[in-house]
Amino acid sequence: MTIDKPAVITVEHLTVSYHARPALLDVSVGIEPDQLVGVIGPNGAGKSTFIKAILGFIKPDIGSVEINGKSAQKAKGEVAYVPQRGAVDWDFPITVREVALMGRYQQIPWYTNPSRVDREAAAEALEMVRMQDFGDRQIGELSGGQQQRVFMARALAQGSDILLLDEPFAGVDAATERAILDVLERAKKSGKTLVVVHHDLSTAAEYFDKLILIKQRMYAYGTPQVVLNEELLSKVYEGKLRIFSDIIKGGEK
Amino acid sequence: MYELFIAPLSEVYFQKALIGGTIVAIVAGVVGCLVVLRRMAFLGDALSHAMIAGVAGGYLVMKLLFGAEAHAPGMLLGSLLAAIATVALISFVSRISRVKEDTAIGIMYTGIFALGVVAVSIFRHYIHIDLMHFIMGDILGVADTDLWVSALVAAFVLTILILFFRHFQLATFDPVMAASIGLPVLLIDYVLTTCVSLVVVSAVSMVGVILVVGLLITPAATAYLLSDRLDRMMMLSALFGVTSVIGGLYLCVWLDSAGGGAIMLFCTLQFLVVLAVAPKYGLLARWMRLRKLVPQQVVEDILTTILRYEKDTPLEVIRQYVQSGKGIRKALEYMGDEGFIEQTSTGYLLTDKGLAEANKVLRAHRLWEAYLETIGTPKEELHPTAHHLEHISDGNTVEYLDERLGSPSQDPHGKVIP
Repeated sequence: MTIDKPAVITVEHLTVSYHARPALLDVSVGIEPDQLVGVIGPNGAGKSTFIKAILGFIKPDIGSVEINGKSAQKAKGEVAYVPQRGAVDWDFPITVREVALMGRYQQIPWYTNPSRVDREAAAEALEMVRMQDFGDRQIGELSGGQQQRVFMARALAQGSDILLLDEPFAGVDAATERAILDVLERAKKSGKTLVVVHHDLSTAAEYFDKLILIKQRMYAYGTPQVVLNEELLSKVYEGKLRIFSDIIKGGEK
Repeated sequence: MYELFIAPLSEVYFQKALIGGTIVAIVAGVVGCLVVLRRMAFLGDALSHAMIAGVAGGYLVMKLLFGAEAHAPGMLLGSLLAAIATVALISFVSRISRVKEDTAIGIMYTGIFALGVVAVSIFRHYIHIDLMHFIMGDILGVADTDLWVSALVAAFVLTILILFFRHFQLATFDPVMAASIGLPVLLIDYVLTTCVSLVVVSAVSMVGVILVVGLLITPAATAYLLSDRLDRMMMLSALFGVTSVIGGLYLCVWLDSAGGGAIMLFCTLQFLVVLAVAPKYGLLARWMRLRKLVPQQVVEDILTTILRYEKDTPLEVIRQYVQSGKGIRKALEYMGDEGFIEQTSTGYLLTDKGLAEANKVLRAHRLWEAYLETIGTPKEELHPTAHHLEHISDGNTVEYLDERLGSPSQDPHGKVIP
């Protein structure tokens, strides 16, 4: 296990509120490197606030988020973000290669064009997600899984060690889900830390090394066996989820 | 020929209109791409309408404070301020009340436009602004100062857009990612809005309040139908803007019509033509694609017909069994391209791929027949009903039928289930 390595994302006593209502309350967690971490919780649990905090978009009421030992606001670009499928305009006039190249934009000074190194890095990232043959396609022409992989490539081209994915498995079929998972696992093997917001409890145990269970408060962080127990889940999901047994079995295997 | 094309070119008013229109069209086309992609089209409208209040204000202030008559920079500054005030009011109202943004835009731009109209008519003894000129524009009466203003605006806006192209592209496409790598997304929004305001202000004197939004979005939308890359879309959009100005100006001279109107008419016709014939996103292309589409049902029927015939199947036999009139030839062509069938001198044969596919359909058919029998369907209806149902042949359905029937090896007619 990787317990001994120092955490790459350190969240301490994070409290964020909107109109005096806490979206996150006293959340503390240290995420160690080289893992596939799932963030689970019911709707409105503050998962997207958690993402925004890690990306450094919000100023917490109290508490801090540190990325590689720097505050999240200062660590811009050290977390590569993969948006939800629904958040993207698929009719945008942009090709697969250009999307991958966007991962390099932070490194390119505003007064020059992307260099050969940048283009090669983007091409390499596309190869890693096996999308190199689609470089000239407009992104709307791809299937859901291919689109997700292109955005993975963009995140990889960024060269960040931490990747943050917002519901990559939403609205894709089972085969596509496997293909995406395959990319995630390869990214992990190459030394990336992946934080993935995930909706489907039934696959959570199978996919992730560690799970974070949040609903405003932090309920658990640990291996699926630890997190997916009936007591915790029924507390967080308040009986909205009646059949926990399958999920918990999954956690125990 | 000479009369039609060359003669107008020697007129000074025509030359100025051509130069001014071209400058405005290029910059409006380029910035218009971002307006279209960000769905800000209505904003262009709001800005142009707000302008009149700004112009009146600028005129008044300069005249009363400095005694300058129709001071162009003063009016320009006034327009810009009015535009920015409109944008601020729109976002303020839509943020703090339950009124949605489109309504807020409608309220604010008509309100500020009305303010401008009232101000111009109250102070008509001080302000000499021709309202009609403002609303309709007057490209044939372009003054030298207008030319200079639009040239400066175009140079400024184009420089910004070219230098920060990647910033605008990323902030438009994926603002969250843009913010995550530290781009000042909000500032980029403001810069873009300012650029749009500048372009609108410089274009109003030529094409008028009502048509300026068309010059901003129509060439961009036309280019959008033709390009899959933002940089190319911008270049094409500028080109379409220029062709609209040239075409519209000739139209205006030949028909002796209003200049702004002729330009926008030409621009709109140009859009409609591209909409019809664009190779990928045009209506014609869409129609051709739909025509090429072969119904899965016909394909499956042909496959099973050839399978049942068990040898080289002549076209007449297929015609006899597959009910789809003229679609058959097209379907056969498609199946040949996909590698399902091979054409021989006397008819058609299944390839290995086609055989596998045909067996799949046949299996679905016979399982459905077996299932129908168990639920008490009369014998004579078994085949025709199953013939309809066999097209529901996805893995899950077939597996379910197979399981439910206990994996039978024969259908009700005693035929082997593959």
